[in-house]
Amino acid sequence: MREIIRITVSLTVSCLIAALVMGSVFIITDKAKRHNEQLNIQQTMLGLLGYGKDTPAPSDLEFYTIYRYIIEDGEIKTLGYMVPVGAEGKDSYELVTIDLAGQFVDRISLDITPESASEPPERKSALKSVLKPPKKFVYADATIIAERGDKRLAYLLPGEFPGFKTFIHVMLALDPTFTIIGLDITEHEEDPGLGGEIQEDYFKNQFKGKSFERTKNLTVVKEPLPDEYKKYLVAGKGEGLSKGIVDTIRTKYLDRDIYSLTGATISSKAVTNGVKNMINKFAYRLNILDSVIERQHIPVAF
Amino acid sequence: MPATTKTNPQLLFNGILGENPIFRLALSMCPAVGISTTVMNGLLLGIAVLFVQVFSSCTIAAIKNHIHPRIRIPTYTLTIATWVTVIDLVLAAYVPEAYKQMGIFVKLIVAFAIITMRLETFACKNSVNASFWDGLGMGLGFLFGMMALGFVRELLGMGTLFGYDILGFRPLLFFILPVAGFFCVGFMMAMFNYIELAVNRKKRG
Repeated sequence: MREIIRITVSLTVSCLIAALVMGSVFIITDKAKRHNEQLNIQQTMLGLLGYGKDTPAPSDLEFYTIYRYIIEDGEIKTLGYMVPVGAEGKDSYELVTIDLAGQFVDRISLDITPESASEPPERKSALKSVLKPPKKFVYADATIIAERGDKRLAYLLPGEFPGFKTFIHVMLALDPTFTIIGLDITEHEEDPGLGGEIQEDYFKNQFKGKSFERTKNLTVVKEPLPDEYKKYLVAGKGEGLSKGIVDTIRTKYLDRDIYSLTGATISSKAVTNGVKNMINKFAYRLNILDSVIERQHIPVAF
Repeated sequence: MPATTKTNPQLLFNGILGENPIFRLALSMCPAVGISTTVMNGLLLGIAVLFVQVFSSCTIAAIKNHIHPRIRIPTYTLTIATWVTVIDLVLAAYVPEAYKQMGIFVKLIVAFAIITMRLETFACKNSVNASFWDGLGMGLGFLFGMMALGFVRELLGMGTLFGYDILGFRPLLFFILPVAGFFCVGFMMAMFNYIELAVNRKKRG
């Protein structure tokens, strides 16, 4: 009996010590870690818009985030959009609910500042105070609108879809006509050397410049990637290639389908279909949201 | 196993050659086969294991007298998990560049047989100093093994080394797949054994 107690006590003590060490390290590093993650996302966003070390982003570039929630009230489902409102921009958030047929339902002011809106728990508590039970809500996704002056520059859509193994996380940049500006794979677990190549320039840059109409019937072709096209895709803005050639290659391949990766057709198809779905759904939802905002005269920031 | 009588350099080389974790002890085969598709992957996982092994070995060697013998294995697992978490958090917070590359590897390490085995057979019976050298040797041995596997698989599978194009074409895509990892490990193990045989024969003959 004494042995059992001794074992129990020493196991508990070891666990407590380990928990104490891990907990204190977590508390010390948490802030820096989250800061890094934010920075990472920011860099991805700027990178997709074509800003980097050499071309710093202009000072009037602003980002506004819309959060979409699915609200359940018994049997009835509605979509709730948390949109930033206020004339000078970042003042507060408003919850705009729209039913599944696209009709406006309600708008409610939320007690949350844009700084704290980027934290999921803060959003949850703000929503809880206006959506009383039995109403339930689930987070769906976020959309970031990039704006310069008063003009919408781009939409940035973080998203995920199933790949060959697990989910592929991407960030997609669209211009106001839903033409793809850029695609970045932020997280994936595809096989290195096969499906893992989706993060390489010569695959993801194939999506650049595809128009909204073109993406609707975009498919994957199992053909070897032409050499000149590969050179163009890898060179980014056409470094090492003369201006004339870059333009001819771009127009030549602009309307082509996506060339499949060698030995990774499933991953290639997953990305292509995922991107297609994201754009389609987003365009549909944004049109509804925009028309509701216009009709209800919601003073949105973007 | 009583306390070791080997000197520090002997302990170091024991891990790299005599008891190489991958080729001689055949431990931690899952990561060895799964991750060693490129030299870079091998290098990063190797570095991650090296740190966790050294830290865990030293910790266990320092507190070995306070561990109840019945619960030594849970204690080892706890120690490894603690170090893995600490390294993961610190890397993420202060070295984000390295974390982008190494993040996924560090989290894998908790379940590595080689680390637990070294704690059980060595660190819990020896001094902190000896455990440090043993951990360093084992870590380097693992790193060496992973890089050797990665070298062969990346060169034959993708025709590249460290991501740079060497051959200009892909000789055998098959080598990237996990199955090929077993073939590579098998061949290298045979090579190691053969070299040992040859050396012993020379000594005797």
